[in-house]
Amino acid sequence: MMKRGILKPLGFPKEVGAAPQNDGCLRKDWGAFQGSPLDPPEVTGVTAGNYDVLIVGGGITGATLARELSAFDLRVAVLDKAGDLPSGASRANSGMLHAGYDDKPGTVKARFCAPGNKRYRELHEMLDFTLRPWGSYVCAFSEADCRHLEKLKDQGARNGVPGLDIVPGDVLRRREPQASPHIVAALHAPTGGVVNNFEAVLAFLDNAQQNGVELFLDTEVRRVLLTEGGGEVLGVETSRGIFLAPVIVNAAGTHSGEIAALVGDESIQIRPTRGEYFITDKAIGSMIKSFFFPCPDERGKGVTVARTADGNLLLGPTSVRQGDKDDTATTPQGLAEVMAGALRLVPSIPQELTITSFAGIRAADRTEDFRIGALARPRGFVHMAGIKSPGLTSAPALALHVVELLREELADRISMKPNPHSIPERTHILRFAALTMEERQDLVRQNPAYAQIVCRCETVTEAQIVEAVRRGARTVASVKMWTRAGSGRCQGGFCCPRVVDILARELHMDPDEVTRHGGPSRLLVGHTKAFWQKREAHHA
Amino acid sequence: MPEVPVDVAIVGAGPAGVAAGIGAREAGAKEVLVLERDWDLGGILQQCIHPGFGLRTFKEELTGPEFMHRWIERAHGAGVRFSTNTMVFSMDDDGSLWTMNPHRGIEHVVPKAVVLAMGCRERPAGAIKLTGTRGAGIYTAGTAQRFVNMEGLLPGKRVVILGSGDIGLIMARRMIWEGAEVEGVYEIMPWAGGLRRNVAQCLDDFHIPFHLEHAVLSTHGRDRLEGVTVAKIDAQRRPVEGTERYVPCDTLLLAVGLIPENELSRMAGVAIHPGTGGPVVNQFLQTSKPQIFAAGNVVIVYDLADNVSDEGMRAGRNAALYAAGDLPCGGRRFEIKGGKAVRLFSPQWITDGGDATVFFRVVRPFECRCKVFADHGLFSQTHRYARPGEMNEVHLSARDLRSLDPGVTSLTVDVEEV
Repeated sequence: MMKRGILKPLGFPKEVGAAPQNDGCLRKDWGAFQGSPLDPPEVTGVTAGNYDVLIVGGGITGATLARELSAFDLRVAVLDKAGDLPSGASRANSGMLHAGYDDKPGTVKARFCAPGNKRYRELHEMLDFTLRPWGSYVCAFSEADCRHLEKLKDQGARNGVPGLDIVPGDVLRRREPQASPHIVAALHAPTGGVVNNFEAVLAFLDNAQQNGVELFLDTEVRRVLLTEGGGEVLGVETSRGIFLAPVIVNAAGTHSGEIAALVGDESIQIRPTRGEYFITDKAIGSMIKSFFFPCPDERGKGVTVARTADGNLLLGPTSVRQGDKDDTATTPQGLAEVMAGALRLVPSIPQELTITSFAGIRAADRTEDFRIGALARPRGFVHMAGIKSPGLTSAPALALHVVELLREELADRISMKPNPHSIPERTHILRFAALTMEERQDLVRQNPAYAQIVCRCETVTEAQIVEAVRRGARTVASVKMWTRAGSGRCQGGFCCPRVVDILARELHMDPDEVTRHGGPSRLLVGHTKAFWQKREAHHA
Repeated sequence: MPEVPVDVAIVGAGPAGVAAGIGAREAGAKEVLVLERDWDLGGILQQCIHPGFGLRTFKEELTGPEFMHRWIERAHGAGVRFSTNTMVFSMDDDGSLWTMNPHRGIEHVVPKAVVLAMGCRERPAGAIKLTGTRGAGIYTAGTAQRFVNMEGLLPGKRVVILGSGDIGLIMARRMIWEGAEVEGVYEIMPWAGGLRRNVAQCLDDFHIPFHLEHAVLSTHGRDRLEGVTVAKIDAQRRPVEGTERYVPCDTLLLAVGLIPENELSRMAGVAIHPGTGGPVVNQFLQTSKPQIFAAGNVVIVYDLADNVSDEGMRAGRNAALYAAGDLPCGGRRFEIKGGKAVRLFSPQWITDGGDATVFFRVVRPFECRCKVFADHGLFSQTHRYARPGEMNEVHLSARDLRSLDPGVTSLTVDVEEV
């Protein structure tokens, strides 16, 4: 009775002639397997495919690398255990593009943050994700804080951060009237910015997929296959079969320590650090024009107040070490700390206008720095691990660095010839809410589904949601990350049933199989009157 | 863009909007157009399939769809035009509306007067700062109601309800009828948020535990909800130590308040009252923009649909009079003030140009004989009780208002024990 969806990675219909054909299914030798994405089969020992590079983890680190590698004539697969992307730290963060003054000169973070920031500015139009170059302020409340600003400014200069300037409190308040009267000075970083982190990850992945990279969700890496003696990598064994490749990149975020341990490397030890956030109604998004940091302390950059790429306010994060790598529950204490910290910077935030809260886990290595590099043994294994803040900012620069590293150090394993069919641009799903009246009119005339508003709060149309599904969205959360449906002030109260309906229709599944974020996160447990339906069917 | 001139345009075809259409036609407006974003008329009452509507208006107990059916039939008879599947996505400050419809594309509706009847929406989990995991299974009660009553889908089998607003109470009973277990209703206040009759008919009759002064502290379960931690709270709404309890459940329904939906009103620059969250109106339901009227839950969240459709009728009638230049304007103006026992009230100001009814909700229950009154001896009525879940009414006659001392500029409404 129930139609089941074909197991599909985030498929993007190919228009590129010579790019490896990916029909959206796993490899041909996978056979005619057709299972629901909801109950991934426990298959091992089946060869799912041969690749040149396997990227373990489809967060911002894996996504940016996949996109850079898609410019080469390589067979690349991205494997992620999540049911939708981005997940983990790439899903739950502040979306900030750090200018690069925070990191101690000499660290890997310091080396890649400012170049990463610059790279986003080069790429955001080409890849069509939302970036707001609104600048940022680090706010000083005391003499000691002011000394700290000087230190940050100096650090920034050494890290190659342009345009840093310390302004007195009244100058700040002239530019930002809602800033606290207690701020005595602020470090202005004109290159500070904010991206829609969902869109950024999806843009890099989408472009990579257009150029032939294959993406496999619900695919957990369980073992790294090595040559006899353990000198070289051969591939990985996953929850969905074996993927073979001479190069494996560990971009597994909070789980990068476990992936490293699979090849006997115990040096990477992730110490999960939780950060909690509030998002407010857009009605107060324009209270500030940029974003505010307090002076950083030993725990991190502190609770900030930011205007998100989409015009909400984002408050947070806290910074609390915890044992669990996936526990993203929010806590009363954490959220109270967020609100107090935010009010310290911008006292006039109306507290009742929060619309949601969330928490993310930073993948901090014990060294507190990024861990980038190829292992000597087994050969072919590359780390992009310990990616904590400013990981989102640094990712595109790290990706370029790792491409060079593959070219120089692993040339015997893969050959990096340019892919003549690779296209460096892509476009996002049309942002209907941002169009002019005339543009909307034209679209509606072409396709009436653009006149069906599904999400009232964010003005998201049915046509956009259908397009998101076409590009690989399979869950309610992924529809939200692709289109913003459900991210408005009612938080999906009105549109959730409609989105479930569209997902079920487009993916040929029963509405009660639709999940919130993949795996066992089913939204519904069945049909009403199921008993009667069963009885009727029996009598029929 | 194609322009559509009308006499009265109405945004929303729920109980307020449909009745406003009738009111406008009956008061003589020729072209009355109701714009509705849904495929069908009726607004949220489409999914309110339980009985209890229309006791005042029709003197019988109807379900939501039956109640609306009667109003819609009457509206068709009165010559009201409806445009469904039509989203009003913007309103200019002159009250003109930008609409979108799959067949007609974008149109600019230019009315002589507008009635805003967009209703309200539910407060989401983030607004009440609910903490914990964010797995599937956490819904506002209205969303769950839509799944069950409209889509035939079951959100869960073991349910906890947070908040005792009417939709939450109704859904407690509804989930039982669908074979689910309802573990309990938890309310932070010491009294029910919804109607007393709903507590009796939906909780008591089904032996559903009702825990007053309790909060859900946190949600558990990463993928699907697995349980919630509840606790008793003190007067400062802090959890009382030692009372925390884990309640296993796969579904948490929130009935923690409704917010008038005024995004369009704000776009047009209509003044919004910080207390009600709705437009500031006078007794003619006229907002701070004289050509823009508002009615029903977009103004103040009502207890009964009858009150909403009554108000819709009045707003429609007044909008039609305004369109024809016949609405009394000017006259003496009185600010309405709420006394100590008053939480929310509407309208916020009145004139002596016509009779006025002030609706208000009390801050706490009065479970004794009490007096609902306006000062200056304008109105007094004794009730057996006054409860936060129910609206109180104060009726003021234009004649009495005109005879008030010239120094009087404000009127206070209140409740007192007698």
